Amino acid sequence: MNSLPDFQYLRPATAADALRMHAANPASHYIAGGTDLMPNIRRGLVTIGAAIDLGGLGELAEIVEQGGALRIGSGVSLARIAAHSEVQVRLPAVAQAALSVAGPTHRAGGTLGGNLCLDTRCNYYNQSEAWRAGNNYCMKRDGEGCRVAKKSKRCYAAFSGDVAPALIAMNAEVEILGARGVRRQPLTELYQDDGMKWLTLAPGELLLTVSVPLDDVWVSAYEKVRMRGAIDFPLAGVAVALRREKDVLTGLRIACTGVASQPLLIDGLDAVLGKPLDDASLALIAEQADLANRSMKTTLVDVLYRRGVSLVLAKRLTQRLWDAAA
Amino acid sequence: MNAPERKLTLTPAATKSDRGVGARMPLVDGIEKVTGTARYTADLQANGVLVGKILRSPYAHAELLEVDVSEALKLPGVRAIVTGADCDVPYGVIPIAQNEFPLARERIRYIGEPVAAVAAVDEATADLALSRIRLRVRELPAYFKAADARVADAVLLHENKQGNIERAVHNEFGDTAAGFAAADLIREENYDCAEVHHAMMEPNAALATFEPERGHLTLWSVTQVPYYVHLTLAQCLKMAAAHIRVIKPFVGGGFGHRVEPLNFEVIVALLARAARGTVRLLMTREEAFLTHRGRPETQIRIRLGLMRDGRMTACQAEVVQRGGAYGGYGLVTILYSGALINGLYNLPAVKYDGYRVYSNTPPCGAMRGHGTVNIRFAFESLLDTMAAELGIDPIAIRRRNLLQAPTETINGLKVMSYGLPECLDWVEAASGWKARKGRMGRQGHIGKGLGMACSHFVSGSAKPVHFTGQPHATIALRLDFDGGVTILTGAADIGQGSSTIITQIVTEVLGVDYRRLRLIANDSAITPKDNGSYSSRVTFMVGNAAADAAQNLKTLLVAAAARRLKVTEADVEWFGEGAAVAGDPARHIPFEDIAEEALVGVGMLTVNGTFTCPIEFQGGKQRGGAVGSTMGFSYAAQAVEVSVDLDLGKITIDKVWCAIDCGFAINPMSVEGQVQGAVWMGMGQAMSEETVYENGRHRATNFMDYGVPTIVDSPEIEVHIVESIDPNGPFGAKEASEGPLSGFMSALAAAVEEATGHRFRMLPITPEKIFAVRQEQLAAAANEVTAQ
Repeated sequence: MNSLPDFQYLRPATAADALRMHAANPASHYIAGGTDLMPNIRRGLVTIGAAIDLGGLGELAEIVEQGGALRIGSGVSLARIAAHSEVQVRLPAVAQAALSVAGPTHRAGGTLGGNLCLDTRCNYYNQSEAWRAGNNYCMKRDGEGCRVAKKSKRCYAAFSGDVAPALIAMNAEVEILGARGVRRQPLTELYQDDGMKWLTLAPGELLLTVSVPLDDVWVSAYEKVRMRGAIDFPLAGVAVALRREKDVLTGLRIACTGVASQPLLIDGLDAVLGKPLDDASLALIAEQADLANRSMKTTLVDVLYRRGVSLVLAKRLTQRLWDAAA
Repeated sequence: MNAPERKLTLTPAATKSDRGVGARMPLVDGIEKVTGTARYTADLQANGVLVGKILRSPYAHAELLEVDVSEALKLPGVRAIVTGADCDVPYGVIPIAQNEFPLARERIRYIGEPVAAVAAVDEATADLALSRIRLRVRELPAYFKAADARVADAVLLHENKQGNIERAVHNEFGDTAAGFAAADLIREENYDCAEVHHAMMEPNAALATFEPERGHLTLWSVTQVPYYVHLTLAQCLKMAAAHIRVIKPFVGGGFGHRVEPLNFEVIVALLARAARGTVRLLMTREEAFLTHRGRPETQIRIRLGLMRDGRMTACQAEVVQRGGAYGGYGLVTILYSGALINGLYNLPAVKYDGYRVYSNTPPCGAMRGHGTVNIRFAFESLLDTMAAELGIDPIAIRRRNLLQAPTETINGLKVMSYGLPECLDWVEAASGWKARKGRMGRQGHIGKGLGMACSHFVSGSAKPVHFTGQPHATIALRLDFDGGVTILTGAADIGQGSSTIITQIVTEVLGVDYRRLRLIANDSAITPKDNGSYSSRVTFMVGNAAADAAQNLKTLLVAAAARRLKVTEADVEWFGEGAAVAGDPARHIPFEDIAEEALVGVGMLTVNGTFTCPIEFQGGKQRGGAVGSTMGFSYAAQAVEVSVDLDLGKITIDKVWCAIDCGFAINPMSVEGQVQGAVWMGMGQAMSEETVYENGRHRATNFMDYGVPTIVDSPEIEVHIVESIDPNGPFGAKEASEGPLSGFMSALAAAVEEATGHRFRMLPITPEKIFAVRQEQLAAAANEVTAQ
C-alpha cells in the first residue's frame, strides 16, 4: 500500500465551522468514513491539503422522524441505516441499498453522505499512479481525452452509489449548507450527468441531511447486480417504489445506479399508471429504462450485460412489489 | 480400496496421543495467527531501515537503450539505485531454463517488469526518485495472445526460441491410432481457460540486511522455497552461499506464486548491498498481479475415443499455454498438462502435443494443481458430453474406467493406492445423485443443476529440480539439557499446515507429550535445507523424514533408558514421557532422566531423519518424464449443485460434496480445510476470476476488479475423507490440497448445463456469458414460434 501524502487534519465541532475551515483551505476535503476517499488519496486520485473530519458533528449523526418524513443525517453510518427498524419497515429499499454496499467493515465506517457523494468510477481511473501514467492518464485526472469513448469531450465515469437510487425512488430531499445558509432540494438535483463533476454542490458546500417521506402507501425495493455477493459496486442497481390501490397502479418511481454518471430517475412511466400492471406495462418500463441507460465501458463487465440486467431488475422488482401489495 | 496387501512400515503408536497422527486438532501456529502475534515479513522490526521501491516498465516490449538514474541520485535521502547493470546473471527456478534478470537488461518484455529500484530514507523520497528515472527505449511489436506470438514473422522474445515457443512437447504412449480405430464414439472439442492468479492473502514483502564488514547478507521473504531463493541470491549477487542467510517468517499463503525465486527478492538484496544497510520492500497488490506466475491462459483441443459401454480407448490433446515473458516454471507446466492426463483413469493410449508460448504479459508459473487443472476441465467435460451421447450416467462412465492399484500408467507413473472408487460411492450417495441428476428442474427463472467430476494430483514431484545427491527431505531433532525436543525443519509452512503435520508425526513416533516439542522452521543458519513447499511434497516427503528422525531419536533414548535402568534395550518398555523395565512398571524413569542419560559424554543430541524417493518412482525414460512422477496420487470426486438465475445469468452454488483419498488423514481437520480451500479456489476460476490485459496492461490488478469469491459466495462444502493407506506415505498419507481443485470446473459446467441447457466450454463461466447464451436461446425459441 502506498503511504499517504502529508495533509492537515481538522476536526470541526459544528457544520458552520466545517464550512469556515473549508473556505480557509481550498484544497481540503470533507471526510467521514473515508472508505472511498482514503484509497483514492493513496492512488493519487485526490489532491488533499487538509482533511476536514466530520465525525465530530453530532448534528449529522441523527435519525429522527419529523413532519411525516424520516430525516437521516449525512453522518449516519450505512450499517446503522441498514439496521434501523423504521427504515427496514417503512423504507425497505433504503435499508436494502445500505446493506448492499461493499462489506461489513465499510458499512460500519461509511456514511450516508459519503455514499451519496461517492466519486464516480471507471476502470481507467480507479488505478494506481503508475498504471495511469503508463496509460497516459485521462481527462478525469491528470490527462486528456476519454479512454472509454475515444472521441468524447466528456467523462463517462459511472456513479456507483447504492443508496442514492433508493432515496430518489422514495422522493427524498436533501438539506445543504452553503455560503448563503441552508437550502432544500430534491435529491435528484444533487446530481448531473458528468463523470468529472457529478455533484451540483458548490465548493465547500456540505450535505447535512436527507429527508424521506414516510408514506406507507408506497412500497419499495432495491437490488443490484454484481459479480460477487459482497464488496462489489453495482454493475447495475435498481430501486423501485410503487403504489397500488386495489388493482390499479397509482404510482411508480424507478431509479437506477451504475448506468450513468449520475443516479437516474426513469421518466416516461406515466402511461402504466391508472390500470393493473400487465405485460405491456412491463415492456414499457423496460423500454424506458433502456432509453435512460447510458452504460459505457467503465467496468470490465460487458455493457450489453449491464444494460440487459438493469431492465430485468426493473421489471422483476416492479412485478414483485405489485404482487406483494395485493 | 485397491490398496495392496502389505505391512505398514509406520504404524500408529500403541500409546495413543491425542496430538499424534490422526488427531483432529487446530494448527500448531494457529493461535499466533488468529491473535495477531504472528509476525509476517512486513511486520518485522529493523533499525535504520530504508524504503525500497521498484520502477516498473510501462512498455510491453522494447529494447532498453538507457536507464538514466542521474537526476534521481541527486535527491537527498536516496541511498542506492540499482538497475539491470547491477546484475548480469539470469535466474529461474528450472536450472536449464534461466532467462530472467531481476531488473531488465537490454530488453523489456512486459508491462510491469522491474527496470530499476531505489532505496531511500522514506517513501516520499523513493517515489520522487522513481519519477526522476528516465528510460530510453525502442518499442517493439508486442504479443498478448499465444496465436499472435506464434505467427511466422513475429519478433522473438528470446532469440534462442524459434516461433516464440518456449517448449514444445510431443508424446505418444500406447497406440492412439489403434485406440481411435477401435472406438465406437469419437468426439473432439475445444476448451478455453482464462489466465488466473493466486490471489494469496499476503502481498509480497522482503527485508534484506547487508553487513559490509563481513560481506554477509540476510534476507527475510514471503517465499515458499527459501532454499531456491538462497541459491538464486548466491548466483545473482555472485556471493558465496555461506555468506547468505535466508529466513522465512510467517507467510500468508502462496498457492504457487512464491514457489520460485522472484525478482523482488534479488532486487531487495541488491539494494541492501548497494546501500550497505537494511532495505524493506513492501509491494502493493498490483505488484503481485504484475509479478504473477499464475495459471496460464490455455487453449485445449481434445479428442476422446470411447467404446459403447463407456470404456476409454484413446485420447489426443493439443494444449497451448500463453506463458508470459519468461521461462519460470513454464516447461514444467506444459509437461504436467500432458503427463497427468494419465493416472486418474485406465487410459490405454494418449497422444499429447503441448506448446508453451512466450508473450508480452507477466510470466506465468505454478499454481495450485500445477498444469493439470485446465486439461482436467477439458477431459472431464468431454467425457460428460460423450457419456450423455452414449446414454451413460456420468458416475457410471467413470466407474467403467477405474485403475487397479498397484499399477503403472502408460507413461511410467506408479499408482500405489487408489481410493477413487470409494470417493465416487460417497459423492453419489451424499449428493442424492441417482434420484436427482437430470431431474433438478426449473422454478420460475431459477434453473437447477447437478454435476460431478474427478481429479487427482501428485504427492510431491519424485525428482527434485536440483541433482545434489542429497536426500529429498531432511529433518533434525535436537535434544539438550532441558529435555525439550526441538524440531528443525526447512519445510516452509505457508498456511497449509506443514509444521503441524511434522509435529504430529514426531509426537506419534516418540509418544511424548506434544508440549515437549518445539518447531523451528526456515532459517538457513539453523534448520536443514528443504526443497520447498511445492507439488504437495511436504506431508509425504518431509513427513517421512520426520518419522525417520523421530525413530532415530527414539532409538538413542531407548538405549539411554536401558543404561539408566541397567537392563538391555529389549527389556525397555517405552511410554514416551518415560520408560520402564518391561513387566516391572514400578521401575519407571521419567523422560528427563532418560534425556540426562542420553547426553552423558556426548552433550546435545542432534538427530537427522531423511527421505528420498527411490529412482523407480522418478518417472518414465522419455524427455521430461520426471514431471508428473510421484510416489502417491491423491484422488478426489466432487458433486456441485447450482441454482442459476436465468434472467440475470447468475450462478449460486448451493452445495458441494467432495470426497478425497488422501491416503491417511494425519490431521482430518486440516485435510478438510485444505479440500474446502481447493474447491473454493476452483470455484473462483470457474465463475469469476480472470486476468485482463489491454495492450499488455493488466486492468484487474486489485480485488475489486479481479473477482476472487467472497465468503458470501462460498457454499457449504461437505468433505469426506477416504483412507486408502498408501504403502509409501507417512502412516499411509498422501496429499490433500491440490487434487480436489481441478474437478470443480467441469462439475460446475455440468451442473450449469442441466440448469441452462448449455454446456460452457470456456472459463470462467461468468454471468455475462450465461446472459448472452440465454438471449440466444430466447431468440431461437421466438424464431421457432414464428416459423411455426
